[in-house]
Amino acid sequence: MDQLTRMLAELLRKMARLLPPERRQWAEAVGAEAGQVPAGWPRLRWLAGGLWLAMGEAKMMRKVVYWLGAGAVAAAAAWVVWLSWRTSPSEDAQTVTDRVRVLVGVAALVVLPWVGRRRGWFGPVGGSLTARLVRVAGCAAVCGLGLVVVRMDSHLGPGPHGPGPFSLLREIVALAALGVALAALAVVKARRADTEVSKLWGLAAMAGAVMFVAVPLQTLAIIYAAGILAATSRRSPVVTASLAVGTLAGLAAGLATLLAVYELNTPTDRYVDLMFLLVVTTTFLLAAVAGAAAAWLLSGTGDPQELRMARDTQGMLAGTVAGAVCGLVLTNFIVVAVFMLVGGPLLGVAGGAAGGIAAADHPLRSLPVRSWAAGLFVRF
Amino acid sequence: MSRRTAFSAQTLAVLGALAAEPSAWRHGYDLARQTGLKSGTLYPILVRLADREIVGACWEEGQPAGRPRRHLYRLTTDGLATAMAALAAAPAPATRTARPGRAAAPRRLAGEGL
Repeated sequence: MDQLTRMLAELLRKMARLLPPERRQWAEAVGAEAGQVPAGWPRLRWLAGGLWLAMGEAKMMRKVVYWLGAGAVAAAAAWVVWLSWRTSPSEDAQTVTDRVRVLVGVAALVVLPWVGRRRGWFGPVGGSLTARLVRVAGCAAVCGLGLVVVRMDSHLGPGPHGPGPFSLLREIVALAALGVALAALAVVKARRADTEVSKLWGLAAMAGAVMFVAVPLQTLAIIYAAGILAATSRRSPVVTASLAVGTLAGLAAGLATLLAVYELNTPTDRYVDLMFLLVVTTTFLLAAVAGAAAAWLLSGTGDPQELRMARDTQGMLAGTVAGAVCGLVLTNFIVVAVFMLVGGPLLGVAGGAAGGIAAADHPLRSLPVRSWAAGLFVRF
Repeated sequence: MSRRTAFSAQTLAVLGALAAEPSAWRHGYDLARQTGLKSGTLYPILVRLADREIVGACWEEGQPAGRPRRHLYRLTTDGLATAMAALAAAPAPATRTARPGRAAAPRRLAGEGL
């Protein structure tokens, strides 16, 4: 028992050193008091409480789980690359196209978080558990898109709807569009700092459109990876509540329509129109619910007009998240639902905006400030 | 819009213990014994209260013989007002739901006549 107590005391001292200077005193305080606590189990429990405090203050569990998740995503990405090499026969004309698509998606998952290490659009990840979960799960879903690419070609075969042989020209056009857009953005931001943000977004959208026409799946993989990182970064305009309700609504829409599609699926494709209608309607309606919830949850103290605009914006963003999540879920499970990667966010924007506008005028709602402490829900 | 401030039963117990002797500096083990809270519950509450400047914290001055210096706590001036308001507004049923070490705290709070 004494040995265990000494070990815990030593561990607490070491963990205190891991904390930021302004937090270190709290772990040291627990250690300083330990000598006053009766020896045996009471002292052991006291020190264990100190370790719990230090872990909480260092946000250690959160970091460990996040990095385990990131490692799992990296392993999944490597597996998808390996699969694209292994399952496609090298004499197949579409094989190179598949491999390039998969490689571009994986490269986006590697390069964008690296860019996001610095404070910017893509990172670092937001402080909330929601942001971390959505980031890890979203990147895993983008890896799933790589599998979809491989499966889609085996599903569509070499017919007119297949990806066709690799086209170096298309890849070059897409790369040039990306390069020109990035250079133009850099020049405009450097020379004309007062340029409206909408113009910059317009420029990026034009480059994206050119890329999308040339290499659609690669562009979608990059846009989704960038979107997930941007929505979950510290500087994200999507507040945690909007991210949470958008993700939940998107998951609900995706899983509900998946179930319905599996139920209605027949060898003759008899209900294909009904399935399409179902997917579109469900996505729109749940995005509207997400938009309304996001707007309703946003509280504020400022000008009512500004608050209403902020609620409309959060509603639209939550709807977009819901649509994108729904698109990712559907595409990961049903190859032919790939159109929802574009349609989902578009339906989400419309539904979220409608929901946000509908809920923007609700009475202001006050929330207690909450904090997790020692496994107990402590409210302030 | 002002935010409603709602404290948990455990936080109220800590505030009650500190408000009983507002001018005295108290140490963690003393508070733990009085409130019946474990260190893993008490200290996170003290951290949050200190973050909100409801509680002030400092290290004991000088090096006492035979033991390490203690970290001490007491309510700030604003913190005392906040604590009194929170304890006065605390609903009785909520305080009765606290667990053993926890059950003792609300009774003690009532006994302190806060």
